[in-house]
Formats: sequence, C-alpha cells, structure tokens
Amino acid sequence: MNAVTLNNLSKIYPDGKKAVDSVTISLEPGEVFGFLGPNGAGKTTTVKLLNGMLSPTDGSCSVFGIEPCKSPEKTHAISGVVTEHAQMYDTLTGLENLIFYGTIFGLSPAESKKRAESLLAQLELSEARDKKLGAYSTGMRQRLSLARALIHNPRLLFLDEPTSGLDPESAQNVHLLIRGLAQEKGITVFLCTHQLRYAQEICTRYGLMSEGRLIASGTLEELRGRIGAGMRVRIRTCPAGTASGILEENIASEEEIPQLVRRLTENGKSIYEVSTQAPSLEDIYFALTAAPETSQKNS
Amino acid sequence: MNKEMLAIIKKDIRGITANRRMMISLLVVPIVLTVFLPTVFILTTYLMPTEVAELQKLLTFLPENQQAQNINDALAGLLLNYFLPLFFLIIPVMASSVMAASSFVGEKEKHTLETLLYAPLSLRQIFRAKVFAAFLLSMFVSFLSFSIMLIVLETEVTLTSGSFILPGIQWLFIMLLVSPAISLIAVTLIVRTSARAQSMEDAQQGAVFLLLPILMLLAGQFTGVMLISPLALLGIGAVCCCIAAVLLRQCMGRFTYEMLL
Ligand SMILES: Nc1ncnc2c1ncn2[C@@H]1O[C@H](COP(=O)(O)OP(=O)(O)OP(=O)(O)O)[C@@H](O)[C@H]1O
Ligand SMILES: [Mg+2]
Repeated sequence: MNAVTLNNLSKIYPDGKKAVDSVTISLEPGEVFGFLGPNGAGKTTTVKLLNGMLSPTDGSCSVFGIEPCKSPEKTHAISGVVTEHAQMYDTLTGLENLIFYGTIFGLSPAESKKRAESLLAQLELSEARDKKLGAYSTGMRQRLSLARALIHNPRLLFLDEPTSGLDPESAQNVHLLIRGLAQEKGITVFLCTHQLRYAQEICTRYGLMSEGRLIASGTLEELRGRIGAGMRVRIRTCPAGTASGILEENIASEEEIPQLVRRLTENGKSIYEVSTQAPSLEDIYFALTAAPETSQKNS
Repeated sequence: MNKEMLAIIKKDIRGITANRRMMISLLVVPIVLTVFLPTVFILTTYLMPTEVAELQKLLTFLPENQQAQNINDALAGLLLNYFLPLFFLIIPVMASSVMAASSFVGEKEKHTLETLLYAPLSLRQIFRAKVFAAFLLSMFVSFLSFSIMLIVLETEVTLTSGSFILPGIQWLFIMLLVSPAISLIAVTLIVRTSARAQSMEDAQQGAVFLLLPILMLLAGQFTGVMLISPLALLGIGAVCCCIAAVLLRQCMGRFTYEMLL
C-alpha cells in the first residue's frame, strides 16, 4: 500500500486562489520525500489537505489508504505533523507539553513521560525540559515541535519547514534525526523545505511545485535527466594556484570525457586535473523554476 | 468521555486556574453579587429600621406560611430564598462565558488550536471536552459562591438578629438542576460562536449579545416562577436539561476543520 497518494488533487481557496492544481504523487513507505518550491507554491496547502485540515476542491488524497477528508482522526493517529502554526502551550513546561500531547494521542501518562524524556534527550532539550515553553528560543520550540510530532511513534511524518529558525548545527542534527527515522524505523517523511543542500542529503525523492502545479518529480538522477545536463566536467590545464586555464563544460555522459581530454592534449594543453560534478539539487531547482514553460512542455 | 478528552479538560481547567487575572475576573462579580450586595441589604435593615417599614410591602408577595414573626428575619428570608437564587442563574452563565469564549479563540490566538486538531480526536470530541471544561469550572465558581454566600449571610443574620434562616427547597433545584442546565446551554452556545470568531474580543462580544437577552428574560420570568412553587422550578430545570442535551448533541455536526482555522 502507498504511504501517501495524491490523485489529481486540487484546492481552490474560498477567495478563488487556486493553491494546488491537479497534483498527482505517490509515495512508498520509508521514502523521504522532499517537497520543494518557492513561497506560495502550495506546499503547506498540500500538507493541510493530507491532514484533513482542508478538504480538496477536486481529486483526492489518502494516507496509508485512509482518506483524511473522510476520517481525519484515523490519519492523525498514524501521522505526526510539524508546521509553523502548530504551536504548544507557553504556560506549560517542555515536558508537560509533551506529556499532554502524548496523552491525547492515546498514550498512558507513564508511557508519555518515558517517551517524552527520551525524545527530549534525542533533541538535546533535556536541560530545558522543566522550563516553561514561553522561555524557549525559536529553535528550541521548533525542536520541541518535532518531539511532539514523534511522541506517538507515527508511521508518517509531515514536516513543513522543520528547520526554519534553527542554527546550522541543530539543523544538521534534525536532518540526521529525520534520516535516521526513515532508515531505521521505516518512517515515511513528507518534508517541505527551502534548505536544498540538506534536502539533497536526506531525501530519496523530490517533488517540485510552482504556482500550485507539480512541475517535476523523481529521484535526483531523474531530475538531472530532466534538465538535460547529465553532469558538469571541470578540467584544469594549468598548475595549481594559477587561475587561468580552467575549463568547465556540461556533458551528457561520462563517455564524452576521454574525447574531451584527447582534444585538449592534441591542442597542446597539459591536463593537471579532471573532475566531474553532477548538478546539485540547487542547480536543478533553479533550472526548473526559472523556466517553468519549457519544463512543462517536457513533461 | 475517554481519557484523551479528560486530558484536554484537565489542561483547559489548569490553564484557567493558573492564570490569576482570569481567576480574579471569574470570582469578582459572583462575590459582589452574593456577598457584598446581601451584606449591604442585611446591614441596612438592621441599622435603619425606619426604612424597613417601606420594605414591608415586599413581604406581601410571600406565601402565608413563609411569613415570619420578625420583619428583619422575614426580609432576610425573602432575600435568601427568593432574590439570591436569581444570581445563581447569572453566575454560571457569566463564568462559563469568560472561559468558553477563550476556549477556541484563545487557542487560535496562541496558535495551539491547529496542534490540537492534529490529535486523533474528532472535532465533536474536542468540542465536548472544551464544553465540559468550561462547564465544570463554572459549576465550581457557582458552588464556591454559594458556600461563601451562605456562611456570610447566616453569620450576619445570627449576629444581627440572633436567629437563623433556613435555605428553602428551591435552592436544591436551583443549584443541582436549573443552574447547571442553563450553564451548559450557555457554554455550548458560546463555545460554538467562539469557534467561529477570529479574536477574543469578537468572541466575548458575541457572548454578550447572546447572553444579555437570555438573562433578561430569565430574570423576569424566574422572579415570578419562584414565588409560585419550587415544583415549577423542577419542571423548568428538566426542560433546560433536555435543551442542553440536544444542543450538545447537535452542535458540532456542521463544523469542519476548515471553518475553525
Ligand atoms: N487561507 C488561505 N486563503 C486564501 N489563500 C490562501 C490561504 N492560504 C494560502 N493561500 C494562498 O495559497 C497559495 C499557496 O500557499 P501555501 O501556504 O500553500 O504556500 P507554500 O508553498 O507553503 O509557501 P511557503 O514556502 O511560503 O510556505 C499562496 O498563493 C497563498 O497566498
Ligand atoms: Mg508553507
């Protein structure tokens, strides 16, 4: 069974704004799906649709076979959600907050406490556990939200910009945690993010949204194929330290490298270094979002 | 009522009791109504007996058997058994409006509502938990005011006239039936309007518009009813209970997450 299925999903807000426009995606269990796109692309709206907070205008979606618009409680029981607007109670301490959410997710108070303590330790919040949430910094709140989303051992995580506001070190820790959860526990992760560098490290597949439409999706390799350039080769024809004499070229496949090198040596150049670099997720993102017309023609 | 809902109820109640400003605003009006006003009344009748003669007219409203020998005692009895019960229709409604108004909007304003909605509870269950939290607390305020009122009043009467006035049977119906039922109706209606409101001011204004006419109507009607018979109170209480039950059952059916956020 698919972990997440979106089938021609569309959402038009009451004010007429078409935020999600016939999006079709399906995710296998255990995938870490990076949902990317510029501001206003419709990522958060999609997450809300998948949690039943909004009901689709057209099309459908399901989470492990359950339709969130029909039985939201059931999808909530198996998913954990972190979004910017899902805050906790300022008047309670970190630990009290987690215990409260544990209890409403059906854990016994003792279980909640145990689970909360281990999550607090995992997210490096043990020292702040008895501080009121009001005294937490943005990054600490964000990490506590992640702990809250994990309290009931969900099979699926919806993370809407979980690392916005985190310092680089915490952001890295959170990303490693997410990857660990997917690899060790087989949790499916639906990750909306603007941090492409981290996304490239932890996601197994990507979907790129723009103005409500899914303009590209697939693994990094597939996306690289989509933008044409297979890889970028960099050839240095001068000793290290001298700047002139670096050649960079886009090539379709590795097979072109020997040819390129031969051509250069025949022209009397000395080769000091040849390196290849596949386009990063960031390169792909810019290539695809810059020219949405051409990419739509391709699809 | 499952343990998840109990957790929400507990959290909501704690949220209010831990907030000193909220508690004070909850308790001030009831104390003024049930302790301050009666005290002024008792002291006036005691210290200014000439004025009492004017009040004697009031006593003609009383049933024959209730007419006491002593005018002061009779007036105190009138106060306790026919006038003060009215306040116990108003108090729980006011108390619950303070809390109920904060229940959904309060969470919305603090951005905690969305988190709560992600819980594996239906909207109906969350709604009921919020209604019960507001209801329980308003009953607490109501019983607390009742106890303080009774203690203060009896002490004052004993000190001024040396006698003791007996609370009538109507108190039983008021405190255990009519007042809870009216409170439940108010809470349900207010929580419902509060769910739609975007800010706390909106919700409280909505609550006032909803409550004022009800209160006026009630105050007008009940003075009469109370003089007729305590049994009529029992009937009214039962009717109110039924209305409350129906409201509670029907109320949340039409709500969707989309309307709340
Ligand atoms: N409640 C709403 N009513 C009307 N329009 C809305 C509402 N919420 C979002 N929109 C619009 O829908 C579009 C998609 O918004 P959404 O929040 O899904 O974007 P996003 O991809 O999450 O953006 P960001 O990266 O900034 O978080 C935007 O144009 C936004 O203005
Ligand atoms: Mg967003």
